[in-house]
Amino acid sequence: MQQEAMVREAATGNPEARFRQGSALRQLWETNLEVFQRDRMALFGLIVFAAFAIIAVFAPILAPNDPLTPLKNNEGDWIKDAMPYWLAEPGEDVAEGYTNDFVLGTTNIGRDIFSQLIHGSRAALLVGFSAAAAVAVIGTVIGLLAGYYGGWIDTVLMRAADVAFGIPFIPFIIVIAAFFDPSIWNVVIAMAILLWRDTGRVIRSQVLVIKEQAFVSAARVSGASDLRIIFVYIAPSILPLSFLYGSFAIAWAILTEASVSFLGFSDPETISWGFMLQDAFLSLALTRGAFYWIIPPGLCIMLTVMAGFFIGRGYEEVLFPRLRRM
Amino acid sequence: MTILSLRDLKVEYATQDGSVQAVDGVSFDIEESQQLGLIGESGCGKTTLLKAIVQVLPRNGQISAGKIMFKGMDLLQLPAADMRQLRWREIATIPQASMDSLNPVQRVGSQLMKLLTIRGGYDKRAARRRAVDLFDLVGLDTDRLMHYPHEFSGGMKQRAVIAMALALEPSLLIADEPVTALDVIVQHQILEVLRELEQELNLTVMLITHDISVVAQVCDSVAVMYAGRIVEQAAAKPFFASPAHPYSLGLQQAFPNLARPRDVLVSIEGYPPDLREPPAGCRFAERCPFVQSACHDVDPRLELVGEDRVAACLRSNEMNELRIRAEDPTLWQNVEVARGFADQAEASVGRGDPPGRPSDASPDATAGQPPADPYRSPSKSGIEVDGEPLLEMRNVSKRFKIGGGLAGLLRGDKEQTVYAVNNISFSLQRGESLGLAGESGCGKSTTGKLLVKLIDASDGDIIFDGTDLAAMSGDELLGFRERVQLMFQNPFEALNPRFTLYRSLTEPLIIHGWKNEDTRLQRVVETLDRVNLRPAETFLDKYPHQLSGGQLQRVVLARALVLHPDFLVADEPVSMLDVSVRAGILNTTRRLARELGLATVYISHDLSLLQYTCDRIAIMYLGEIVEIGPSDAVINNPQHPYTQALIAAVPAPDPTLENPPLRIQEGVPRPTELFVGCPFAQRCPDVMEVCHNTRPPQATNDNGHMAQCHLYGEHRNSPKLKRDPIGEPA
Amino acid sequence: MSRGVVYYIAGRFLQSVMVLWIIVTLLFLLFRLAPSNPLASYIDTTFTKQQEAALLARFGLDKPLHEQYIIYLVNLARFDLGDTFSYAGKSVLDILRADLPNTIYLTLSSLLVAYGVGVLGGILMAALRGSLFERVGTTFTLMTRAAPTFWVGMLLLTFFAFQWKLLPSSGIAPAMVRYRWETEWDKLMSPVFWRHMILPTFTLVVYLHGLPLLLMRSNMLEVLDQDYVTMSRLAGYREWRVMIQTAARNAMLPVLTALTLGIGYSIGGNVVIENVFSWPGLGRTLVRAVQQADYPLAQGAFFLIALIIVFMNFIADILYSLLDPRVGASAQAQVS
Repeated sequence: MQQEAMVREAATGNPEARFRQGSALRQLWETNLEVFQRDRMALFGLIVFAAFAIIAVFAPILAPNDPLTPLKNNEGDWIKDAMPYWLAEPGEDVAEGYTNDFVLGTTNIGRDIFSQLIHGSRAALLVGFSAAAAVAVIGTVIGLLAGYYGGWIDTVLMRAADVAFGIPFIPFIIVIAAFFDPSIWNVVIAMAILLWRDTGRVIRSQVLVIKEQAFVSAARVSGASDLRIIFVYIAPSILPLSFLYGSFAIAWAILTEASVSFLGFSDPETISWGFMLQDAFLSLALTRGAFYWIIPPGLCIMLTVMAGFFIGRGYEEVLFPRLRRM
Repeated sequence: MTILSLRDLKVEYATQDGSVQAVDGVSFDIEESQQLGLIGESGCGKTTLLKAIVQVLPRNGQISAGKIMFKGMDLLQLPAADMRQLRWREIATIPQASMDSLNPVQRVGSQLMKLLTIRGGYDKRAARRRAVDLFDLVGLDTDRLMHYPHEFSGGMKQRAVIAMALALEPSLLIADEPVTALDVIVQHQILEVLRELEQELNLTVMLITHDISVVAQVCDSVAVMYAGRIVEQAAAKPFFASPAHPYSLGLQQAFPNLARPRDVLVSIEGYPPDLREPPAGCRFAERCPFVQSACHDVDPRLELVGEDRVAACLRSNEMNELRIRAEDPTLWQNVEVARGFADQAEASVGRGDPPGRPSDASPDATAGQPPADPYRSPSKSGIEVDGEPLLEMRNVSKRFKIGGGLAGLLRGDKEQTVYAVNNISFSLQRGESLGLAGESGCGKSTTGKLLVKLIDASDGDIIFDGTDLAAMSGDELLGFRERVQLMFQNPFEALNPRFTLYRSLTEPLIIHGWKNEDTRLQRVVETLDRVNLRPAETFLDKYPHQLSGGQLQRVVLARALVLHPDFLVADEPVSMLDVSVRAGILNTTRRLARELGLATVYISHDLSLLQYTCDRIAIMYLGEIVEIGPSDAVINNPQHPYTQALIAAVPAPDPTLENPPLRIQEGVPRPTELFVGCPFAQRCPDVMEVCHNTRPPQATNDNGHMAQCHLYGEHRNSPKLKRDPIGEPA
Repeated sequence: MSRGVVYYIAGRFLQSVMVLWIIVTLLFLLFRLAPSNPLASYIDTTFTKQQEAALLARFGLDKPLHEQYIIYLVNLARFDLGDTFSYAGKSVLDILRADLPNTIYLTLSSLLVAYGVGVLGGILMAALRGSLFERVGTTFTLMTRAAPTFWVGMLLLTFFAFQWKLLPSSGIAPAMVRYRWETEWDKLMSPVFWRHMILPTFTLVVYLHGLPLLLMRSNMLEVLDQDYVTMSRLAGYREWRVMIQTAARNAMLPVLTALTLGIGYSIGGNVVIENVFSWPGLGRTLVRAVQQADYPLAQGAFFLIALIIVFMNFIADILYSLLDPRVGASAQAQVS
């Protein structure tokens, strides 16, 4: 129906300019652009990540206090369990001299919660993005190899995926953490070792579909080499899928890091939101109803994880429009 | 009694770019026990019409005007609950793609009985009895009642859906493309079932299809739909004898007919109008060869043009004359003929080629010839049949192992061997065209893949221009890839959706070392021009989704030809396209093959198409070539019982030609065993004792017409085994 | 059952055994080749050489690695997981045997509730696709999936256990109640136990219902697009029949698989929540064992969790092949 109009438009338009472009990278860029233009939630996710990235980079400037140093007041006493000034009733013991600094109060040994919160974004984003990158890259490469070459390569890699599916994830990280020095990188390593499995399987099945498509056969009949087929024909079609799984992996990594820290297997020198919650939990903040300590780190985790989910869903909707259809 | 009556029905779809008038003022009646065939191209609104009648339009669709009267009831005024009650009790619908219409996790019989109990009020026992009867009625084995849909073949599923549609004895049966995508023998049998049921049950049917031969076979009246309108309606016989609308005329001439082959099939050039902004005048005017200036301004209404027939054309009073003029294919093919190719071919030779490569001599050779009759020559592709063959298949076999290997072992699949291609031999001259035909699963596509070395043969030699394909590697293989190309069935998948057409077409050139972008561009433009995509420059920056199927298939052809190959394999090149543009693709391919001296192998299930395009035809069955010979000889004088059956099964686009009764049943066995005797013995109507235990000889006459069958060997006089009607030996 | 299905099950079983063997081998290597000596924290400086050697001998650590590996495999096959370091005189199996039922109760109750809610919610979301309710609903579900479970648990604890004192905060029952239970049956019959289970179950449901809900929703949307659903509409079935009997029945299959898989993964993944609620299950024991460097116990708990996951993955495959008649036949690939 529209063809005729298009032919007409093409005849009058200026065709020379654009047809030579259309590289794989440009295609990918356009897909990414489409995701964030089409889906406001995905855009929201992107903004959240951007905001936390800025906070993480400028954390030492933004944080009013050192997150690990217990603070003393002018008299030299520890400022323990100070409530945020905006929660304190008039006449209650507000930590004198520091009132305006303790936006979220202090911990039971006198550390500034707000500063911890700001510094916690560093661990979250670092773990989130590096684990996601590792998962997406490993999963994509394995999926491509298994799907494209098939045969024994496929068999070995997919059996490896079966093994990875059989290993319990959180217990695995705990065991890893027990053998190595506590570090946020344990989470990244464990995710890289195990979580490529989902990405790998999905990419593989996608490659199998694309590989059988007529335009790939056509390339082969024209004499295109394996490498050319993989990089020029297949990779551009599956990279958005890697991005999709990468976005979800960011979310899972942040959640997992929080859980592991909460269980006490993180580096006590690195502040993370999970660590803050563990601290609160162990120092019985719950029984005291110290919401100012419990709620903010959880909200931050939730916000960053949701950002990952939203971006992932944005990709899903562009890649699998079936889900979008109303 | 009038069963269904539509009055000025309009259906709109709301889309992002405005509303589309998919059905625009359709009126017609269906009388009791009438069988109306509704013909139209994809996008003409025929399926929308069906959805409107049973009111299952998608959410963005809406009936904006008109009336639908069913047995005197106004369906549009009916409450939703009553309308629901009406479905299948009164109006039964066989949806398009009805192969997937059965619930995959429920047994077929259970689905049928559920329908009978819930919708029909049968009790359990009666429902079962009725289900068995229905299976009988549509020719299904009643033992299969409790099988799952995936255990049914395509034809059986279609029968089951028909059984479900008839279960509640509806007054009107609407079938949407009931035989599309079925093999020709299955198709024949389904049509047979429909025809029998029509007579037995006195059914009222509305059949929606793009295929006029289906209508010719099972309908007694015809309505032609174009761009949301009915353009002609008539009884079947007068319609096929003398169509009264230019579009009908074109359609009729676009259809190949085995019994009366045409020298040239017409292609209705152009595309239907944009229904968001329908033209003020006649909607067919843009594509009509008889267009006059008034056609662009005046919207023709349906008018009586004869006894009980209506057509919407301003020139309907001149139709007798136009009909005679329409016989001239050049009238339709104006583009193809008016712009002969010789001049461009001459101009382009030698300029676009990279240094060090021989320039193509073939366009030069034809350049001097007059383009007077590009369609028909003594040999369809104008070959000289002497000299070394370009390609030779010598006892080639291809086996696949499935379910084997470590993975299969772990998964517990038993290893099976599929004998996809089995000991076939043929040769092909330069410039010759050969057709491969057979039911799906016969190995014709595998043969195509073998020919272009997408897969390697298990046994035997494939010799291309003196070199064995199996031995090729490195530069030699690259050289082969330059000279041999493949054209694909589905144009929507054959091009990378992420590439502009320029990128797609320039890829082969890059791979084969064309370094200079300007010469590449020049060759791409020249090739697009050759396949009639003009002006070529406007197509360069298009993406595949911006083109129609017909245009895309031309691009696919262009990509295959951009390297000026010597040999082209075309796998079902037009089966996905609308009939009105099929002939255009075939004509272009045929003309270019001649100009470029291209040898071609066409793979198709459609014998009439092969007869039209090929010098020779080979019939394949279970991986073997059972008959091969000059096209006309194979079609007009088929020797092998299988070829005879295939030809008998092709529906003629003419209600006066009745198909001979088919002597074989549907159902190609899986090619997982090698036969001691003839592979066709299981289904053969003329089977003899010897067929089961001895391989049939190859009987060849002087004409080069070979049939591999005992009927023509020393056992020709052996007694034939009797078979019961199902086809099993008694 | 057709022969194809039997073959399929046998093949899958063999594959599961191999996967388990590889996991067990990796586990062995992880624990033996780790940078620190597994006994380092256990062997005190006050130990004499003889005591140390005796200890090494007792845990089989004096033998060459390959012999240790054989012994380890043989012991695992006999389900002999050795003795714990930190619980005097108790075998690993004793500890795990006490933990496993608690973990299973928590896992099953939370999964059943979560999947019930999720499936119904998913059908509802699919039926109301495009509505404001659906948008808000799916966003809310995404939020519950994004919230860390332990944090949700902490918030619930703060309100229900500490602020309003409605529900117990930790464990499965006070000690004096626990002593009266002689069998698992007594435990299950005790209202005190169920009261203790409410908060952890609810916390898990908040997290777990998201997967089946979103899965069911997208499956429904996909299935509603299928020709056989159109067909049952055309056949004039009532809309609820179309939605439930035809569409939901097909859309359920992957959800059931996810549930089966979920049992395995939840048993491994409940670690965090068991620690928040001091629930005496496998996860809490694993964390404690690692913290106290009780490596036979950690290894045993890890092995048990992996065993359950592999087994449930196996069951999920089988279930799918039984529920979907096409799977058994899909082995017969099409060629040509």
